[in-house]
Amino acid sequence: MTDSSRNNEAQLIQGMKAGENQSFQEAVRAYTPGMLAVARFYLDHSSAEEVVQDCWVKVIEAIRNFEGRSGLKTWLHRIVANGCKNRLRSANREVPTDFSESLEPELANRFNAKGRWDLPPKLQFHDSADTLMENGALSDCLDKHLSALPETQRSALILYEAHQHKSDDICNILDVSASNLRVLLHRARQKIFLMVETFQETGEC
Amino acid sequence: MLMCKDLAAIASDYIDGELPVLQNMSVKMHLMMCRHCRTFIGNLRASTDLLQAHSSGQQNEELIRRIDERVAKALKEGPRNPTNRDP
Repeated sequence: MTDSSRNNEAQLIQGMKAGENQSFQEAVRAYTPGMLAVARFYLDHSSAEEVVQDCWVKVIEAIRNFEGRSGLKTWLHRIVANGCKNRLRSANREVPTDFSESLEPELANRFNAKGRWDLPPKLQFHDSADTLMENGALSDCLDKHLSALPETQRSALILYEAHQHKSDDICNILDVSASNLRVLLHRARQKIFLMVETFQETGEC
Repeated sequence: MLMCKDLAAIASDYIDGELPVLQNMSVKMHLMMCRHCRTFIGNLRASTDLLQAHSSGQQNEELIRRIDERVAKALKEGPRNPTNRDP
């Protein structure tokens, strides 16, 4: 986090502590997508939205006790995670997750019995990420594949890549072990790799 | 000896610098000898960069509007009393 974003965050927290609606609006816009990613790890779409809404109302009071030991984002994500866990506990449900295999079947099938590449990657992705993202069709395709990821993988990926959380924080928020987080991330990245590869080879999503 | 399939299974750990030293060294040795795995690691890394560049989580305007309304209402009605607030 840069000095200026730290200052902005401190100002925002001050405004929220003072109960300023404008500060809350700013925070809601900035932090809701990440909070939703956390909630979707645990819950279906509409329950996740409900929990996030309820959390913001709780935050109005809770922010007064916020001491800044973690960043605002991490603090908000923990509140959401706890809200989700409470809801799961009361419904007596658990998050179904599969941590058993670290290789995607589609990729695993590309090796021979000796473990060498049978169907190696043909093309090298030459363009930079920013250049690639200027391709609207690829960006849409990425959205489509992100939506199709299992919730647990998508949440882990979004928190790690897009929200740049540290692994320790994600393990804490999503209640997974470090090794299970590694599996979730790797499985999700392989799917995105396979998608980009298909797109580059065929131009199709 | 590390095979291509083994390397593919731990590729994210390698990219993120999460491998133990010895395993990291065997990945590096393998990469020196295997151009397919070099391409794979390069492409997996590029896919990861792509995710960071992608403005994920497009704003859900309808949800944001609903939250804004609830927060504004709660701020008006809530138990907050500015005169009693800590400095």
